[in-house]
Amino acid sequence: MQIRNFSIIAHIDHGKSTLADRLLQATHALSDREAREQFLDGMDLERERGITIKASAVTVKHIHNGEEFMMNFIDTPGHVDFGYEVSRALKACEGALLVVDASQGVEAQTVVNAYLAIAQDLEIIPVLNKIDLPGARPEEVAEELEQVLGFAAEECLAVSAKTGQGIPELLSAICDRLPPPRKPVTTKTRALIFDAVYDDYRGVVIYARVFDGRLKVGDKIRMMGLDRMHTITELGKYTPKQVKVKEVGPGETCYIVAAMKTLGDVRVGDTITLEQDPAEEALSGYEPPRQMVFCDFYPATSDKKGNDFEQLREAVEKLSLNDASFTFAPVHSEALGFGFRCGFLGLLHMDIVQERLEREGDVEVVQTAPTVSYKVDMRGKGGGIEEIEVHNPADLPDASTIVAIKEPVCRVEIMVPKQYIGDVMKICMDRRGIYRNQTYVSETREILTFEIPLAELMYDFYDKLKGMTAGYGTMDYEVIEFRTDTLVKVDILVNGEPVEALSLITHRDKAELRGRHLLVRLRQQIPRHQFEIPLQAAIGGKIIARETIKGFRKDVTAKCYGGDVTRKRKLLEKQKKGKDRMKSVGSVNIPQEAFMAVLDTGE
Amino acid sequence: MPARIDPGPVYAMVRKAMGLDGAVSGPSGGDGPARSLYIHIPFCFHKCHYCDFYSIVDSRDRQKAFTARLVRELRALAPFSGGLPLETIFVGGGTPTLLAPGLWVELLAALDDAFDLSVIRSGIRAGRGEFTVECNPETATPELMGVLAGGGVNRVSIGAQSFDPAMLKVLERWHDPENVGRAVELAAAAGIDRRSVDLIYAIPGQTLQGWGRDLERAISLGVTHLSAYNLTYEPNTAMTMRLKQGEFAPTPEELEVEMFGLTRETLTSAGLDRYEVSNYAVPGHECAHNLAYWRQKQWIAAGPSASGHLAGHRYKIVARLGDYLQERDDGFAPLIEHEARDARRALAEIVMTGLRLREGLDAQAVLARADAIELGLGERGLGERIEREVQRWERVGYLLDDGGAGGGRRWSLTEAGVLFADGIASEFIARIG
Ligand SMILES: Nc1nc2c(ncn2[C@@H]2O[C@H](COP(=O)(O)OP(=O)(O)OP(=O)(O)O)[C@@H](O)[C@H]2O)c(=O)[nH]1
Ligand code: SF4
Ligand SMILES: [Mg+2]
Repeated sequence: MQIRNFSIIAHIDHGKSTLADRLLQATHALSDREAREQFLDGMDLERERGITIKASAVTVKHIHNGEEFMMNFIDTPGHVDFGYEVSRALKACEGALLVVDASQGVEAQTVVNAYLAIAQDLEIIPVLNKIDLPGARPEEVAEELEQVLGFAAEECLAVSAKTGQGIPELLSAICDRLPPPRKPVTTKTRALIFDAVYDDYRGVVIYARVFDGRLKVGDKIRMMGLDRMHTITELGKYTPKQVKVKEVGPGETCYIVAAMKTLGDVRVGDTITLEQDPAEEALSGYEPPRQMVFCDFYPATSDKKGNDFEQLREAVEKLSLNDASFTFAPVHSEALGFGFRCGFLGLLHMDIVQERLEREGDVEVVQTAPTVSYKVDMRGKGGGIEEIEVHNPADLPDASTIVAIKEPVCRVEIMVPKQYIGDVMKICMDRRGIYRNQTYVSETREILTFEIPLAELMYDFYDKLKGMTAGYGTMDYEVIEFRTDTLVKVDILVNGEPVEALSLITHRDKAELRGRHLLVRLRQQIPRHQFEIPLQAAIGGKIIARETIKGFRKDVTAKCYGGDVTRKRKLLEKQKKGKDRMKSVGSVNIPQEAFMAVLDTGE
Repeated sequence: MPARIDPGPVYAMVRKAMGLDGAVSGPSGGDGPARSLYIHIPFCFHKCHYCDFYSIVDSRDRQKAFTARLVRELRALAPFSGGLPLETIFVGGGTPTLLAPGLWVELLAALDDAFDLSVIRSGIRAGRGEFTVECNPETATPELMGVLAGGGVNRVSIGAQSFDPAMLKVLERWHDPENVGRAVELAAAAGIDRRSVDLIYAIPGQTLQGWGRDLERAISLGVTHLSAYNLTYEPNTAMTMRLKQGEFAPTPEELEVEMFGLTRETLTSAGLDRYEVSNYAVPGHECAHNLAYWRQKQWIAAGPSASGHLAGHRYKIVARLGDYLQERDDGFAPLIEHEARDARRALAEIVMTGLRLREGLDAQAVLARADAIELGLGERGLGERIEREVQRWERVGYLLDDGGAGGGRRWSLTEAGVLFADGIASEFIARIG
């Protein structure tokens, strides 16, 4: 039996998951009755948002020219934040279907994902999807693919994942054009862990691709990187129903259950070998995902008995079993109490984690404004220079010991219709971008490549890009390095007291503007008090911006006699309602939303 | 109309808590019997436009029935004084002095009969023995003053509001300002030795100078107590309607604050100190009855719309005269509001009214109550939360923690802080939960 392993990759929404549905259907893996749209997007959140968050691997059978083929394929997420999932999936494959929406054309992520596949030496089949749409222009899009990625027009297959048109041809092409798995290079067993999920009943479930040797139920296996031992209790495949198997051989993918309780027991990218007859060398794995965006989560309500934090802790721990790509560590803030500082792959990832915490963990959280991770060179005690990582402006060491602050810088690919190039150039420059190059895609579109600090992309860059290009601009980015710049910490003082949860790190040239905007937002969000509240932004003790929240002039009723007590007390009690959701800093009550004010860049 | 509450069970709970049924134990909280009495007389000649008290324009034909019913209610309520002498009585309204002198004679006799007035009869001493009647300047007659004094009344509170006819007109308050002085003299002549005057400021159109003149006029009457109220637009009053309709502009807050300051300066130099947000007195002449309210003491209430506070229960008697006049075998009048004893509520109220007093709060007593709540409800950190709130307002300069310098530790608002007593109280209440 022949084997084909491939991933489906594309720009977001170009139809990967729908195409996967058709492949399942055409190979009779699902009956028409069982089929539902985007079958592989099993998570509630995936179904609600209509996006794929986790890659899913399935195995189907197909007869081609009288020969049986086992196809293992992986539907990948399209959003940039989950690019890591794509690279992992590609490692387990020999081929990739590069899906392009024939009405949208080549987009930023089409290019980035194609590069990822090329870098892994995969055979790529370009697939022009959605040809049923009246606006589809497969020929032009094929030309774009040729321009940008060098695929010949005849290599492209035109399909409709909606109607099923072109699917049989696609299946044939998969069999004919994608290479079989490479031959084993050793008799010793080596399988690559390309994913792991947590299951309430079985614990950790590993997804692995066998490259050399075999795996059987009952095998004692060793994780070469972590150097841990487990016994396989269950082996199987998703077809997409779960089917248990006794054994898997070279070129196959499978899931493995081996009594592992937490995701900490496995490392994605690790190599599995057999305990009795271990391989000498591990397969080349992955870099662990790097958390680039950080923010704090605190319980939204302050329960008088202090249970809220415990509830949050439980929710965070539970979620981390399912999603190993976010990190968390307990923090304490003057203003917000006890919570967790969490790291994410990107902003969408952060959003999703927050939503899953609230939904699956049943806790309400206050989230602080996200920041990127910084690397700081500081003078150590011995006079040498020491590099530390800082995920929170509050953790920045004393200014006098700082030699340099380095921030993550991204390579950003922006696909943009020609008439908007000027505007896009301008916003990139405003965001401290360095222009790198420009690639011709078609008569009407170009790809601009910039290097832009991640911090500048974080808040509303994408929305701004969409806005200024009538929705046509798309982008993708990848962190390429940490780079030194004149970065400063801006402290925010409320009524003379610094509020760490509001401080921010920004470029010196932008500090004043950011500071001023933040104060204006705070002025709007902090309610008037019984006294005047000065708001100040400062760099190392020097005030760079100032705002004032005027105080009430008076707040006292003239009469409070015997008969007034009840009514008056009820009135005062009513005012307290909003107050338990505020955090007090010194003498000032700050509403929770104010902690997100840092997000507003004020452009 | 809000549903009426049967007073029987409420008063039964009070009796039990006070130990009047002979039960030795019970959650009396050491309150014992009540030593104060409030009586509400609901008649007026005319409805003043800022007024939200329960009052009806005089219908003389019901004064007699009212007095008879009131007397029966007082008899039913008398046991709550536990046979001990009353320390303060306050008769408010409405316009108590609109009650015909003959009915006053009846009422005073009934009081003397049902309650022990010995302390009151021996005169005001050390904040005890005070019997106040609110007095309308128009209705003060030598005859009435004589009747009142004969019945033990030793303090009158005269509703002057303003000496400026134009301001009285804005308030739709009908009296001749000259009559205020006359009323004071009549009271003095009858031997009523404590006289207080009520004034209102921040009346639309009033100037700082105009208010200053009102204050001087009041001082010149030789009163030893003065209440000065910032005009309040109470919901459902004619004044508020007129404001909403744009008939006049409200006094700007800046001016209100200036008027408050001028009041304090003027009265302090005349020897009257501020002892509550709106009340000033020559030391020793503070209104003992009102202090009992603000110190969260107990008092018995009688008459339509009167509110009482007994054994931790707060309740209000029906307001409508028709409902009040209905007879009951037990003599009580129906209630329209009732709040049962509640430690957290009591603490909130102590803080709320205590902060309005110059003497402030007894810190130890507040913290002891917080401890009791923590113990009773298994809650943590209430005391600390209160202390933190104290520190917070101290930092801003609105509160003074004397740390026990003058004996017991007290928390009181500073002169700047008094202007924010409500906001500060609501923050404390938010911490109390
Ligand atoms: N008309 C038409 N619509 C299609 C076709 N394929 C997909 N769609 C629609 O395009 C939208 C996106 O499809 P998905 O399959 O979720 O796309 P995806 O690439 O998996 O998206 P992500 O996982 O979020 O990156 C859905 O509304 C699909 O119904 C097609 O061939 N024709
Ligand atoms: S202010 Fe006094 S006199 Fe005027 S209506 Fe009200 S209760 Fe009657
Ligand atoms: Mg998808």
